[in-house]
Amino acid sequence: MAEIVMAYSASHAPMMTADPGSAPREKADNFFSALEKVRDKAKETGVQAIVMMTGEHFTNFFLDGLPQVAIGLDEEHLGPPEVWLQVPKKMVPSDAGLAAHITASLIEQGQQPALSHGMKVDHGFMTVYYWLDPTMELPMVPVVLNCTTPPLMTTKQFWDFGVAIGNAIRSYDGLERVGLVAGGGLSHFVGEPRVGDIDEEFDRWFLDQLGRGDLSEILSVPNDVLAEAGNGTGEVRAWVALAAAMGSAPGHVLAYEAVYEWINGMGVVLYDGDQPAASQT
Amino acid sequence: MTLYMVQRCLFDHLRRLEAAGDGPRPDIVTEGYTLTDEEKRAVTEPDIGAIYAMGAHPVIINGFCRALGYKRADYRPLLEQASGDTARRRTPWQKS
Repeated sequence: MAEIVMAYSASHAPMMTADPGSAPREKADNFFSALEKVRDKAKETGVQAIVMMTGEHFTNFFLDGLPQVAIGLDEEHLGPPEVWLQVPKKMVPSDAGLAAHITASLIEQGQQPALSHGMKVDHGFMTVYYWLDPTMELPMVPVVLNCTTPPLMTTKQFWDFGVAIGNAIRSYDGLERVGLVAGGGLSHFVGEPRVGDIDEEFDRWFLDQLGRGDLSEILSVPNDVLAEAGNGTGEVRAWVALAAAMGSAPGHVLAYEAVYEWINGMGVVLYDGDQPAASQT
Repeated sequence: MTLYMVQRCLFDHLRRLEAAGDGPRPDIVTEGYTLTDEEKRAVTEPDIGAIYAMGAHPVIINGFCRALGYKRADYRPLLEQASGDTARRRTPWQKS
């Protein structure tokens, strides 16, 4: 059976690849150094494929049909559609067997993911993935989450989803070493009057919970209150799901910077891989 | 006529721009969408504040503003003017 040998959550502001030099040097260096540590961890663990969760940006779905969760099921996915992202356009390999297994397992566990063929992987995936593997050869199973269009799943529902996706990965017998990645957040505002703001208090409050491995506070926050931290901040649902998949293990907060030039709170949290008998019931 | 039609019009326009790549930029198309005169004016002028006031999705507003050339938070004043003062509620993470 597969183990989750590495897991991490990272912000995915488009500017981190489109215009990285626009951020203050020290802040950018701190953030990118954390991503380099994650890359080293991937090499060290010999991860064979990753499963990546991130928010939907109307790249694959629109208001005429918007799933709360959708899984890309193809052998490869085109990314990124944004020509300005400064990430080469490429068919990114996936692992269709793992994707199909996760989908079936999630449904068996009471989740209702949508099936998706022809999924594209936009900046939500590619900014973080490109830093993990600049060759873009590491297979990536894409999972998109509705984080911006109400009614939204609560953080508690994404916690339950995360437990289920962790179980799904660990019950796959086609690979031995899988990585789990969450992209998005931390606080940011888009397309609304507070665009440009960063809620640093929220970011530090949330990161503190991840660092302690106790998310009870954010799991009790209603959706309309969470939105006060920013309408893009809802992407932390992916971080919550990842923390759940890792069984409440404390995360290592490798970096946090409020990068106003990128209009985004930028953080990286890395988790230790599975220990024996880590799978949850 | 409906907020969905306004958003569909803008979404389709963004997709056409994406498809055009480095080629000539297509104008926004309003034919085929059931729009009021005010909605047509807002999307063609364009009037970002009015589109926001109609309730358009922020991801669409952001994408539309980026396509118009706005960088980072440069379009913020347009939305602030349209929104007026909005009270912020106290949150569990707020210390100050």
